[in-house]
Amino acid sequence: MLLIFLAIAAPAFFQPQPLLSLLTREAPTLVVACGMAFVIISRQIDISVGSQFAVCCVCAGLLAAKGWPMPMVFLAAISLGAIMGALNGWLVAGIRLPSIVVTLATMVMWREALRWKRQGEFVNLPDGMQWLGLSQVGGQWTLILVALVLLVVLAMATKHLSAGRFVYAVGTDAEAARLAGIRPQLTTFSVFVFMGALVGLAAMLNVVQSPQVDPKSGSGLELKVIAAAVVGGVAVSGGRGKLWGVFVGLLLLACISPALTHLHVEAYWEKAIQGAIILLAVVADGLRTRKQRS
Amino acid sequence: MNKILSVLLLACLAIVSGCGKSEPGSSSNAGGSKITIALMPKSKGNAYFISCKKGADKAAKELGVDLVFDGPTDPDPAKQNEIIENWITLGVNAIAVACENREGISTALRKAKAKGIKIITYDADAMTDARDFFVNQATPEGIGFALMDEAARLCGNEGEFAIITASLTAANMIEWQKYIEARRADKYPNMKMVALRPCDDLKDKAQSEATALLSANANLKCIMAICSPAVPGAAEAVKQAGKTGKVKVLGLGLPNENKRYVHDGVTDSVILWNTEDLGYLTIFAANALAKGSLKAGNKTIKAGTLGEFQIEGDSILLGKPFTFNKDNIDKFDF
Repeated sequence: MLLIFLAIAAPAFFQPQPLLSLLTREAPTLVVACGMAFVIISRQIDISVGSQFAVCCVCAGLLAAKGWPMPMVFLAAISLGAIMGALNGWLVAGIRLPSIVVTLATMVMWREALRWKRQGEFVNLPDGMQWLGLSQVGGQWTLILVALVLLVVLAMATKHLSAGRFVYAVGTDAEAARLAGIRPQLTTFSVFVFMGALVGLAAMLNVVQSPQVDPKSGSGLELKVIAAAVVGGVAVSGGRGKLWGVFVGLLLLACISPALTHLHVEAYWEKAIQGAIILLAVVADGLRTRKQRS
Repeated sequence: MNKILSVLLLACLAIVSGCGKSEPGSSSNAGGSKITIALMPKSKGNAYFISCKKGADKAAKELGVDLVFDGPTDPDPAKQNEIIENWITLGVNAIAVACENREGISTALRKAKAKGIKIITYDADAMTDARDFFVNQATPEGIGFALMDEAARLCGNEGEFAIITASLTAANMIEWQKYIEARRADKYPNMKMVALRPCDDLKDKAQSEATALLSANANLKCIMAICSPAVPGAAEAVKQAGKTGKVKVLGLGLPNENKRYVHDGVTDSVILWNTEDLGYLTIFAANALAKGSLKAGNKTIKAGTLGEFQIEGDSILLGKPFTFNKDNIDKFDF
């Protein structure tokens, strides 16, 4: 609906180059949003993803600047993400602390550690790393395709793999899942590790878009992906939600800011509109659950 | 026996203090002839302050004063205090500090001042009663005017431009915008500001904003980025949109973050102050203060090869911001 309105009011929005740029910029966010969907479906939350993202971006940049080959840098970033995810997972599933508290702590910890270490200084990447050595358009399409393929694979996996169904089961009712022979703690732990690994991959998709890395990358990413998941119909109470919905939710939120620029609306309104859309989604979700109960 | 021992001990102490403190100031200060100036950055490894020190070294050499340079490895207010205490013990003539924490450092500075040490702050000020003068690297008016003048020059005094700011609420940004607009209305009525977008002080967001600005405003001639991450962000967007040279990029930023784009011809001008001049002027001010030739109420100060600088109240003004471009940006490394 928004898109149709835009097509009439500001046709310039649909020029191919800016649109391609927009999608490329959102590719890493989509990868993180997929992970976040799993975390929320399993009835947890992870607000440390933005900080993890920054740590992975900076470390990947530093390794690349040291001359590591590209596949090794990818591997390192993904492993690093998985390790940070494992820390969250162990604290939540192993010691049974609330995930909001744990990830709030790790969010601050990673972000401040990075600030202390880098003092805001950019990491300059070696020549040829941008767009993975491809042309700009080739690189952009590659990144978008990686994110979309991942989305499709994960969406299929949630339906057809038992691991996917475990996540839904644990999110719906951990006790029932345990009685059914699922190990809820192990599932939760795995979800956090997987989230971390996806953050690592997303960080790589971000790093190769630019010749330098901003150590503040990923600030506010956690809010963006949680919002995308919620707007996309993932239930905050766990157990329900589809990755396709998350994809649509993310696209909607990602279009708001450039759309407002095209409509020459003052920037003061942007955050308010985003907030209103999120509120609308949560209210819709709340009404739906109430209907189901009655 | 006791006497011999104490003499020996004293001798040891003298040797230790002589060797341990490699700063040249400690020994010559006792003579009272040569002036020792202690210079402190917010943190030692920071390339910005290393550039300041380059200018300070030059000034110290010209003036024939001893320069002691020390600071925390990481920006740490407690460590800054510790170093000030050491300098008080050492008995330097003047201390010049870039303060990490305005309140935190002021107690130590007041103590130094009470001991007769002259205090100068540069880059970031302390509480006004804790120091004698502040070397102010840039006034909001100076920054705003310089940005607008440069944008007008790049656009040929007419056309549309857009501003990318850090946030719509940051006090310093609002202040700069006020002066940008005042200058535009006064001198460049044919320039038109078509949009003001916030980037949350993030390079990636600035890039997205600039991409949207470029496609939404077909006649855009120039993007002015007034927070440092926005300058490379906007440049990357212009480059990716294939509008290099057609849409000019300028902004307030750091040379190292923008070198690539300046050499590629995407970014035309990066505006900041000349950090070497800042260090140079700071040392000249500290020296004049220690010698007594700079007193409260003075209106100007002479600083060697750089000439005369204005003093407004207790602020020494470095003057007009400095523009980094293709020709000079490689001389700076921060």
